[in-house]
Amino acid sequence: MIEFYRVAKEYQGRRVLKDVTFQVKKGEFVFLTGPSGAGKTTLLRLVFRAERPNDGQIIVNGLNVSAMPVSRVPVLRRSMGIVFQDYKLLPTRSVLENVTYVLKFLGVSPAERRRRAYQVLRLVELHHRLSAFPEELSGGEQQRVALARALVNDPTLLVADEPTGNLDHRLAGEVMKLLAEINVRGTTVVVATHDQDVVKQSGRRCLTLDRGRILEGLAEAALPPQAATKQGAPDAEQRP
Amino acid sequence: MSAAAALAALVEEAWAGLVRARRMTTASVLTIAISIFLVGVFLLVVENLRGLVETVRGETSVTVFLKPGTSADAREDLERVARDSRLVGSVRHVTPEEARTRFATWWRSLSTAAGAMATNPFPESLEFDLPPDAVRSAALPGLLKNLTAHRAVEEVQFDVEWIRRLRGAVGIVQTGGSALAVILVLGVAFTIANVVRLTILLHRDEIEILRLVGAPELLIRGPFLLGGLVQGLVGSLLALALLGGAYRALVWWSSRSQENLASLLGLRFLPAGTAALLLAGGLLAGLLGGLIAVRRRNLA
Repeated sequence: MIEFYRVAKEYQGRRVLKDVTFQVKKGEFVFLTGPSGAGKTTLLRLVFRAERPNDGQIIVNGLNVSAMPVSRVPVLRRSMGIVFQDYKLLPTRSVLENVTYVLKFLGVSPAERRRRAYQVLRLVELHHRLSAFPEELSGGEQQRVALARALVNDPTLLVADEPTGNLDHRLAGEVMKLLAEINVRGTTVVVATHDQDVVKQSGRRCLTLDRGRILEGLAEAALPPQAATKQGAPDAEQRP
Repeated sequence: MSAAAALAALVEEAWAGLVRARRMTTASVLTIAISIFLVGVFLLVVENLRGLVETVRGETSVTVFLKPGTSADAREDLERVARDSRLVGSVRHVTPEEARTRFATWWRSLSTAAGAMATNPFPESLEFDLPPDAVRSAALPGLLKNLTAHRAVEEVQFDVEWIRRLRGAVGIVQTGGSALAVILVLGVAFTIANVVRLTILLHRDEIEILRLVGAPELLIRGPFLLGGLVQGLVGSLLALALLGGAYRALVWWSSRSQENLASLLGLRFLPAGTAALLLAGGLLAGLLGGLIAVRRRNLA
């Protein structure tokens, strides 16, 4: 589903990602973790082509993202759902409108839009708040609306950047449970988080970014204890 | 997924954008309307001047004012000189009394003053009608020279010179109007561009989200482009309505006055083609403004 080969990314001469190589298989649930500034968000932005790599190759859903012309980017993004830490909900639109907004632009009929929105809002248990506005919702509810919006186009890949970053422990647990459910339904899920507790509890595969390099393991347990905090991991710790 | 649903979404979003920025939209539409109204006024003046030229050209005549106390023999001799040129169609003899009556009919508000004069100030005259092609005849200057030199003639008045001057004036107004139209259309385009740009700023969250979820670029830019077009169209329709209203008011005001200038000068409104041109100008300005505003730099 996602393949990174020796990917490098730099901003104004500063290397954010160095020689990053990994694969995520279809149907997998993978965490991307690491301290703040490790390059998690940059890596996700490379997946949905909000950024282009300076070096290396990225394949997502069979599409060569790194060499893709700008005109093909919408096709790539339509195959995935994206969830942001700050939700990115439209404050002047209701829950239903936020979820269906994108479908409207993809030419989906009003009846079909409503049907699909109800389905995903039911999944995130917000089907009773269709006409509420984002400011009337709690942080957890807003994140669930964002999740519903990401799912409404039935994506094969869900990319979430710190989806629990602004939530308390209980709400974070609810959102993670939802993501797990979505994964069970067949969607590949990649979640970037700095919350080690969430990663440890899940027991899922975990890609750890440290100073722009990737270390791979099964949750935190499989990594050397110093890996996440050490300055610059040795080359031997990098895995394809 | 259907194109009709996407198109409906595009129209819906364009409308929502205009309504959301309603103050700016109103200001923009009014600016467009005023600009296009001014262009319309120029076109209306040109149209009527041109109409006047055509009317006068079709009724070309030479008016010869006679010296006071001209005898019938001298007048008949003058008529003979004119007829010998073979350029003259018909001849009308206008007595001072007929001239006074004609003046009183044309300028009703001054009729009392004209009638109150102890002596009749209007001179006796002969009017020679010329066929339209006579204006271009090589023999015409000779005829005018002979008429001017005749002993019974006080003054010769020939319309062609006046028509030439009028045509020159029409040309100047037309050129000035065209230059003004270009400047105003560009000004309107920049007004629309700025309003659309501000609308884009108001919608930057939506644009970002639409981009991230893979909405087609055409549908992201479309509502803003359509918004510009709608502003141009509404503005030019408003300008046409204003122009029509102003024209009707002028005709109405003129009909209430004794002279009825509108009828006298044969005033007419813009022909359908010119009105359509004004609409097209508004749409063009809207399209230009929209295109300037939705450049990638502004939407990034």
